[in-house]
Amino acid sequence: MKPRVFAMFVAPSVLMMLLFIAVPLVSVVVQSFYATVPVYEETEVESCTPGFLTQTCTRERRSVPKLDAAGQPVTTTEFIGLKAYRTLLQPEAAAAAFASGGIAALLSIDFYGALRFTLTFTLITLPLVIGLGLAIALALHEMIRKLRGPLIFASLLPFIITPVIGALSIRWLFIGDGILTAALRAITGLPISMFAQGWTIELLMLTYRVWHAAPFAFVVFYAGLQTLERDALEAAMIDGASRLQRLRSVVLPHLTPLIVFVALIHLMDSYRVFEEVVGFASQAHRISLQFLTFSFLTPDQTGNRAITRAAASSMLTMVGIVILLIPLLLRTWRQRR
Amino acid sequence: MKRILFAAMLMMTPSLAEAACDYQNDVPLQSLTAAFDAWKAVTATMAECGNYRAELDQEFRTKQPAAFAANPSLYQIGGVSNGTLVPLLNAGTIRPLDALVAKYGQNLAPNQLIKIDGKVMAIAMDVNAQHLMYRADILAELGIAVPTTWDEVLTAAEKIKASGKLATPLGATMKPGFDLAQEFVNMFLGFGGTFTKPDNTPSVNNEAGLKTLAMLKKITAYLDPEYLVSESTFVQKQFQQGKIAMANLWGTRAAALDDPKESQVIGKTALAAAPAAMGSKPATTLWWDGIVIAKNITDAQADAAFRLAMQGLSARTVAAAPGAAVWLIKGYVPGKYAKGSIDSANAGAPPYPSTTVMGLMSSAIGERTADFLTGKKTAEATLADIEAAYLTRAREQGLVK
Amino acid sequence: MTTKALRTPLSLRLLAAGFLAVWVIVAMFPLVWTAVMSFRAPVDALSSDPWAVLTGPATRRAGQGLTLVDLVAGLAGLALILLGRRYGARGWIAALAACAVLFWLTPMLDGALHLPPIFGLTLTHYRAVWIDHEFYRNFLNSLIITAGVVTVSLTVGTLAGYGLARTRSLVAFWILITALIFRALPHSVLVTGYVPFFLASRDLLMPLWNAPILGPLLHLFSAVPPTFYGQPWAVIIVLVSINQPFTIWMMRSFFDSIPTELDEAARVDGCTHLGAFLRVIMPVMWPGVVTTGLFAFLLAYNDYLVTALLLDAQSQTMVPAISQFLNSDTKASDQIEAIAAAVSITAPLFLLVTVFQRQIVSGLTAGAVKG
Repeated sequence: MKPRVFAMFVAPSVLMMLLFIAVPLVSVVVQSFYATVPVYEETEVESCTPGFLTQTCTRERRSVPKLDAAGQPVTTTEFIGLKAYRTLLQPEAAAAAFASGGIAALLSIDFYGALRFTLTFTLITLPLVIGLGLAIALALHEMIRKLRGPLIFASLLPFIITPVIGALSIRWLFIGDGILTAALRAITGLPISMFAQGWTIELLMLTYRVWHAAPFAFVVFYAGLQTLERDALEAAMIDGASRLQRLRSVVLPHLTPLIVFVALIHLMDSYRVFEEVVGFASQAHRISLQFLTFSFLTPDQTGNRAITRAAASSMLTMVGIVILLIPLLLRTWRQRR
Repeated sequence: MKRILFAAMLMMTPSLAEAACDYQNDVPLQSLTAAFDAWKAVTATMAECGNYRAELDQEFRTKQPAAFAANPSLYQIGGVSNGTLVPLLNAGTIRPLDALVAKYGQNLAPNQLIKIDGKVMAIAMDVNAQHLMYRADILAELGIAVPTTWDEVLTAAEKIKASGKLATPLGATMKPGFDLAQEFVNMFLGFGGTFTKPDNTPSVNNEAGLKTLAMLKKITAYLDPEYLVSESTFVQKQFQQGKIAMANLWGTRAAALDDPKESQVIGKTALAAAPAAMGSKPATTLWWDGIVIAKNITDAQADAAFRLAMQGLSARTVAAAPGAAVWLIKGYVPGKYAKGSIDSANAGAPPYPSTTVMGLMSSAIGERTADFLTGKKTAEATLADIEAAYLTRAREQGLVK
Repeated sequence: MTTKALRTPLSLRLLAAGFLAVWVIVAMFPLVWTAVMSFRAPVDALSSDPWAVLTGPATRRAGQGLTLVDLVAGLAGLALILLGRRYGARGWIAALAACAVLFWLTPMLDGALHLPPIFGLTLTHYRAVWIDHEFYRNFLNSLIITAGVVTVSLTVGTLAGYGLARTRSLVAFWILITALIFRALPHSVLVTGYVPFFLASRDLLMPLWNAPILGPLLHLFSAVPPTFYGQPWAVIIVLVSINQPFTIWMMRSFFDSIPTELDEAARVDGCTHLGAFLRVIMPVMWPGVVTTGLFAFLLAYNDYLVTALLLDAQSQTMVPAISQFLNSDTKASDQIEAIAAAVSITAPLFLLVTVFQRQIVSGLTAGAVKG
């Protein structure tokens, strides 16, 4: 295909990606170094609010934003350098906490707690998702053809369902007097409250993600199993390999590129963990990096969004994902070469 | 199929509905307010005038500033309270109402005019406060007097727990965010604390702050272990299902405790002023709810919007929902559900400060207090964190250099 | 040959079957249970006793539920449909007509016979969600945004995918790798970039409205520059762009599987590249387009982050509206209404998997097995 024709075909897509992914990205980088601040002035303000039946009026000194001629608040934008990053990472507090209290004290700083949770979430669910997906694919491979359709249908449901709703549906099963918590209490005899402490909520979130992502892994591995040639299996059998050895030496190597692919996609997606935090309402106990950014973007009680800190948090999140992806990307690059 | 019919019928109902309104509104108007019963009653009355849609959303506080800052504003009428007035005031997105009050506000009590710097910026419709609600039958059975201080509340809770009647006798709105911040703010003010110094720097890490945290911690011993998800509805349900005996709950929830459809404890709850932390002043703050009119709309729209709002803030609403709130509207006679709020007000509960500083402080407190309650940090560390979080925000906003 | 030896022993097959049974239960249980809860009165739905949730005693006591007549009619209708399937289109129509008659007859019988309900079932929550809370508005918003995302995404992505599949240049390779990196970006990072611009768009775009030539043209559309916050079309563009990397990867691997001889033959006949693409490739490509469209649909339909931050209460889609339900509850029934809303959101997805199961599976494997 000639370059000009190629350019015509890909132009709209590339333009959209440039305008709406690359430009905002650059804007985020820039925003993390600037702060837009309203200008406040001190004035004496008389304000009257109702008591019951009579009004209470007070006269006090207050800081109110300066308004310009059009009635809009006056703002100044100033370069603050790395200040937002320092607020997020709190290097002095972090060092002090680490020196005195160890990891636990360090994790009480929002950013590091979110980092820890995101990394644990991503790295623990990875082998579980691949393992479960593989198990389902291998088991389905043994099933009679007629049953496979409905089984695949049932298996796809956790993947298709809206993440927030999936998390909510599991939450409703466990929160307070939910039937599964009641069942757990009945079985173990312990007064279990799944939402009273952080680690049980984290366990539920991990379970949810494995439940949600395993179908994707399963479908990919299942398709891979279909393309496995019988000759290779028969050859291994002739050599006297047992079932397990056949699995290890023929099936798994055949599936390896697919395992790498699933791992790549899973790392990308679970690093972005966000809907689980919303669905399980775990803000008090566990937050993720993306949730941290989201919380900066949500207006607080003065209607203000902490854009600069959100930008700094976004940058740090991106650094993390790049670091995580490098090994897998290198591997894919080498394969293509 | 039925649903489509229902929807079609619904869209026709405005013209079919009995127009109990004084006039027919012909300017399309929208409002964004909270979703609790008082607002449901007010917006229902306003809907009778036609051409109006109410958006009832408990997350209105995060959506209002951006919606009102849009030009033209996405809503003409806004429902606010002491706290949520501040963002709109600071951004200059609401208009002064003096002229409109002169034109349409003959039925308003002078108490309802919220004046900032001499100009009427909002019209209040009710007052609200978190005050004590308790199971009169349980207290009578165990011979416990109605508590007037938090120490007495804790003693009563211990007695109820010891008697084996209820494992978790107390309820509290401790969900991180606004609810938890309110618990802290009320208690802190009850212990005589002031949140900031005159130069807007924080002063929470002091004796009043430590006493507040200690008291909150003592309360958690008698709460349901999952108290960090507990907001007003959660506590209301706990009462309705007979799981708790005492709680400091918003006055507007009192009527729900006698709701025949949901409550199992009808007629058994009683109301009292909020307990005091120190001395006799109730440890609570007085809130008002009211309406504001957007600035980024035409004067004709503002006129129609205010006129419609006056319909909502009329005796008809009070008659339709007398127990929904402690109304300030003329024609309201305080019923039994108003006792707690009125008693708290008369005993000297302060109004919640409508300032930017308070908004920032509340946000910081709401974020950080949970760390102390879950045991992640000590009281001093938590208070230091609150001050640091406040300072970050205040510097970001230019309130503190 | 030795196919018998390759066959798995019975014990292993039973193990596999047992494991799959457990997995299917685990996969479907939360969803099925949530659906059951949504049809019960609050007291039953939130009960900690599973039998209460399943049979709905309080709902039954309130007089709402399925009577014996209802159950018999329901089973008869199901049997009729299964029977009608065998006779093709005419069988379907006859079965559906019979069901309609049953549907009309049953309430009359119930009223006449005054039978008590056997197990509790109520539609009050759905009625409350869809009518009182006007969830149909959110549904329409979701439809608008999803339809917009799917159309634009497919149009732009198909062209790009074709271009990338038919070129082996280094530029194409780098575009794909950059797209992969973009796909990894957390959406909150991008939204951080959008939010200030969306909120201040009116002031930022004003110079364009005052520009000499462009100004009057833009004035034809609107007198003042729009504020992007709360606008569905703005969110459509954002979602399409976020989805582009995934779309072009998927389309590229589908196009890869179509032999180049096809377009070369078309070009020999005198078609331009675009002509060959539209007239020869696209008809063959249709299944791939459907599959990619499905995933674009899923992304737009299921999105929470972007829609929650960039849409206003009036233009809210269904998924962020769930937060509204969870936060607006002031009664116990409100929580069940949130559950009914959640089931309402999931129902179309359930239908989607039923109809498009094969396409979804082929889509998930497209990137992996061929790429």
